[in-house]
Amino acid sequence: MSDLNTTDYGARGALSAEAREEGLVEVERALSQLRREIETRFTKVPMQRSLRSVDWMAFFDDLRRRFSTFGMSERSGEIDEFGMDEVVLLRSRALLDFLLQRYWRVEISGLGALPAPGPCLFVANRSGLLPYDGLAIAHVLAAQQPEAGQPRFLVADWLITLPFVQSYLARLGGVRACRENAERLLSQGQRVIAFPEGQQGAAKVFRKRYRLQRFGRGGVVRLAIERGVPLVPVAVVGAEEIHPILFKVGAPARALGLPFLPVTPTFPALGLFGFLPLPSKWGIHFGAPLPIESLGPDDARDELLVARLTEELRQSIQSLLDEHLKDRKSIWS
Amino acid sequence: MNTPETVAITGLRSFVGQRLAERLAERGGRMRVVGVDLRRPYRLEGRVRFHRVDLTEPSAAIRLAEIFEAERVDTVVHAAFRRDPTPDLEYDHELQTIGTRHVAHACAAAKVKHLVMASSTMLYGARSDNPNFLTETHPLRGHPEAHCVMDRVAAEELLAQWQLVHSGTAVTVLRTCWIMGPTYWDFAVRHFAKPIVTAVLGYDPLFQFVHEEDCLRIFESAVLAPRPGVFNIVGRGVLPLSTYLRSAGKQSLPVPAPVLFRVRSYPHQAQTGDRPEGFYDYLRYLWVADGERGWNAFGEPHYTSREAWAAFISSRKLRRYR
Repeated sequence: MSDLNTTDYGARGALSAEAREEGLVEVERALSQLRREIETRFTKVPMQRSLRSVDWMAFFDDLRRRFSTFGMSERSGEIDEFGMDEVVLLRSRALLDFLLQRYWRVEISGLGALPAPGPCLFVANRSGLLPYDGLAIAHVLAAQQPEAGQPRFLVADWLITLPFVQSYLARLGGVRACRENAERLLSQGQRVIAFPEGQQGAAKVFRKRYRLQRFGRGGVVRLAIERGVPLVPVAVVGAEEIHPILFKVGAPARALGLPFLPVTPTFPALGLFGFLPLPSKWGIHFGAPLPIESLGPDDARDELLVARLTEELRQSIQSLLDEHLKDRKSIWS
Repeated sequence: MNTPETVAITGLRSFVGQRLAERLAERGGRMRVVGVDLRRPYRLEGRVRFHRVDLTEPSAAIRLAEIFEAERVDTVVHAAFRRDPTPDLEYDHELQTIGTRHVAHACAAAKVKHLVMASSTMLYGARSDNPNFLTETHPLRGHPEAHCVMDRVAAEELLAQWQLVHSGTAVTVLRTCWIMGPTYWDFAVRHFAKPIVTAVLGYDPLFQFVHEEDCLRIFESAVLAPRPGVFNIVGRGVLPLSTYLRSAGKQSLPVPAPVLFRVRSYPHQAQTGDRPEGFYDYLRYLWVADGERGWNAFGEPHYTSREAWAAFISSRKLRRYR
């Protein structure tokens, strides 16, 4: 080994100083030739940055188009009758994938008990100010049963009338929560995600998190019995922490026409950036469908039965929540 | 009920009145058309028997009943409504609400068999809490700031009350959404006909239109083969407002709602005497009607909402070169 090394260095050392000089010059020449060749082949035409060469017409046209489609530059020409746009949905899919898989690291369970594709009513706990939970459940269900189409999630009134938010939610599959809309969607064979807690759920302060509020007036259960569709409880864990509401402010909100103004650790402090959700660890857990197949449309008029089933539904979501909250070690992992 | 022999049209100079009279007169046969309005209509000489009646006069009901009886009218089409709202709120109220009352009472007195009333889906009102599709049973809430709409809501309510007592006359109410087409013209069309269309910033509601041909065909078939009841007359399909404007190559000017609602001098709004909300809320909130019942009764419309809009836009473009 050492022998070989010495001979090697010896050979190099044997070269005369002139020969090394000559070799270096040779290499230098070859390099400069190569550089020239690269330059001639790949030179960019120098940018002419004069005012005259800018296409002002195109610039203004672009500006005009951007302004007139402010907030909605990506759309297709066709939408479905509730305003859902396949193109917007497709474009948002990558972002939702990122949010669910990387940002919130969603853990999904209970998919085995999902009813067969067809009209179905999913009932979940509402949490977080913006309806990320509805979007997430719809995204998970669409990925799980793509043949059943994109599920639609119901959105509370105050959100669906907010400027900008409203048109985006509609394009992404959000529908105003009301009886007529839910009935129409179910009769078309679509899957509907409802949040019967409504505004009370979204506006929960942080210390009341994961405590289910009143389930409206039992409309969800009544609708499921009337239409004879499966009723699936869904528990979303982790969405309460994306916008933890410390307390709510009433007076300035009423001036803006909002029901309340939340104060979260980030919201008024960081301005609009405060609306970015925090990266809590999520879990979406589907429960077993409620046993309501034996009931007929007439049973929907039995108020006591509806109240009992509503309570049963609420309990099953609450126990799903409690079960998975117990297993959770931290909000973030 | 059989095919009517004598049809009376109130509001002969209105779009529906004039064009329906032309259509019915063209049919020939034994059908006679009687027209009632303030002024004589164009191009209907000799084909329509014209009577001059002012519906805002207190004696209008008596005068109408006399005409209906003398002409042996069996079907009345009530289309005497303002096409554009005017600043004269009292006159609009007299004509639309009280005028409807006069027509209804005249129908009862003259034992008219069938009354067809032209109405509008605007009467449901553009509200943030509307369901996506308004059915015929949805309450008529109108818009508190649009006097023209509220007058017509009052007229429909009045007619519903009247119907409870006078069951001898069958009533068909046809609620049309905004009409589009080559010749139709009203305040909504005027808004969309401009090269720059004002819109409410942040709102992009779904819209539906009905083509004028479809609208007239349905009025005609409602007269010829009576189907009592309330029907929404709309085209198939809904599209966002921005998509309509973009497909027409129009520029939209989104203005924040609080600013828009303070601009009282906006050209055509100033002429209505209403606050701008009365019009712009219709460009802000959903008021799409469910047309299933109308399609089942009167057949499929020939034009979808998009085609009706395209017909309007292409006719406007052609007009520029004429």
